[in-house]
Amino acid sequence: MTDHTKSKLLVALLGITLLCALVTPWLGHILPQWDVIFRPGADDIDAIIFWQIRVPRVLLSLLAGAGLSLGGVVFQALFRNPLATPFTLGVASGASLGVTIAIVSGIHFSLLGLSGTSLAALSGAILSIALVYGIARASGKLSPTTMLLGGVAISFFFSSLILLLQYLSDAGSSFRVLHWLMGDISRASMDSVLQLAPFIISGVLIVSLLHRELNLLSITDDMAASRGVNVDRSRQLLFFAVSLMVAGIITVCGPIGFVGIMAPHICRLIIGSNHRFLIPASLLFGATFLTLCDTLARNISSAAEVPVGIITAILGGPFFLWLLLRKNRSLP
Amino acid sequence: MPPALLSALIRCLLGLTQPDSGHIEINGRPLSKLSHTELARQISYVPQQLAERISFTAMEFISMSRYAYGGGRGAGGGFKQTDEEGLEATEQAIELTGVGHLRHQALSTMSGGERQKVSIAAALAQQTPTLILDEPSAHLDPKQRDIIHDLLAKITREQNISLIVITHDLNWASAEFDRIIGMKAGQTMVDTQADAFMQKQTLMDIFDADWLLHPHPESGRPMVLPSPSQKP
Repeated sequence: MTDHTKSKLLVALLGITLLCALVTPWLGHILPQWDVIFRPGADDIDAIIFWQIRVPRVLLSLLAGAGLSLGGVVFQALFRNPLATPFTLGVASGASLGVTIAIVSGIHFSLLGLSGTSLAALSGAILSIALVYGIARASGKLSPTTMLLGGVAISFFFSSLILLLQYLSDAGSSFRVLHWLMGDISRASMDSVLQLAPFIISGVLIVSLLHRELNLLSITDDMAASRGVNVDRSRQLLFFAVSLMVAGIITVCGPIGFVGIMAPHICRLIIGSNHRFLIPASLLFGATFLTLCDTLARNISSAAEVPVGIITAILGGPFFLWLLLRKNRSLP
Repeated sequence: MPPALLSALIRCLLGLTQPDSGHIEINGRPLSKLSHTELARQISYVPQQLAERISFTAMEFISMSRYAYGGGRGAGGGFKQTDEEGLEATEQAIELTGVGHLRHQALSTMSGGERQKVSIAAALAQQTPTLILDEPSAHLDPKQRDIIHDLLAKITREQNISLIVITHDLNWASAEFDRIIGMKAGQTMVDTQADAFMQKQTLMDIFDADWLLHPHPESGRPMVLPSPSQKP
């Protein structure tokens, strides 16, 4: 595929994403009148459902999907490991531990418009980022292997603490923790969209600026260094940019799984490994994918919503098998 | 010398590792004073073997080596192509190595020899006065090995580039290179002309092996032959 074809493909993908963003807010058990589009501030039921529930929800899933997908692209390239996800380095388990502690201890507070759960998730995520970075630094240069192993070790440790806390807590708290762990966009509001946007925008900006470094780092460190890349600093920048972006997503939406591993692989199969094209493709694909999954999640059962994390996971399992069974020549 | 020591040596030359003792100078400037991109304009590197998993096309891979000149950017990332000189250097490298027909082929689908040629083309596109190659032909079959050796000979003939090659192929090293540094356990044992290197005693000192030296039937250069007595 030539660069020209890839550019065309990106334009087509952008069209699909826009179409998806325009159509999905209309879908649901209640079909709003078409003229709500002119009444964003109105307080009739159609306008409230459309503008205060569905539009923020679609915007949030677009942002989160794009961010998770990009996180997967970067970590898979950076660690040269097809199984890496945005959560591999422990950001998700750190956030989950924070939320578990907040729910189980029953502390209620809010700060700067963020709820106690969100603050706990953010602190937990930042704690795990700092720990993984500290461990990698302590062993000298930021080697991918040390970072991966450190992240996995911290993930396991935090997960076991979460299990312990859940075991010791009452059924109500335990259920709330479980529900949070599934990942959920149903609490979306315009405020949460605005809270998440800066995390995503800064993450996307930094990663896009480093797409050439990412290409070379996905080969080997030696190769990147010999071409003139400041390996240590690039890896550090990419790690923090992605980790903070993912921390933001988890804080608002919970740890929605599988988008961050599926979307990058599918994009790589279609458009190739060149991050110049892979980055925009995965942003668009991830955004569309999560938005469609969430539309499914809120419509699949008429009794109650299914958390979107369950939908992405159900699609993710078979995908993993397919990934294992096919030839892995297109993996990073 | 064990591979770990050789790769440590290369990592020092690429500025990835600081040497425990001594210091490295490149064209009279200490390596530690050079920025990453300055170093990349002095030395380029061909690794022993590019991993099979790399799915970049030859063209993508070669243009990536223009990184130190600000090249390899493109429309998709929101940048303009800034590196006109780079396009020329890239084309020249492709022509010299004869990989034009592989331009749009993924590295993962190439043979070992083809991949090695693309790897050398990428290093040439980096336009450095020095090229470091780590065992450039050790993993290739004899025919491919000859092709790579001929290509390297052509490069030194046609381009003003010094090659630093790490190799265990003594016959090739002594036939093609001006200066040979024999190392053992991290120590320099000899630093000499090719002819002086191919001495029974020198080889004995480095490799602890009693090999036969026999002149090549056509060129007359000494060749290393295994001693029959050492065969089981």
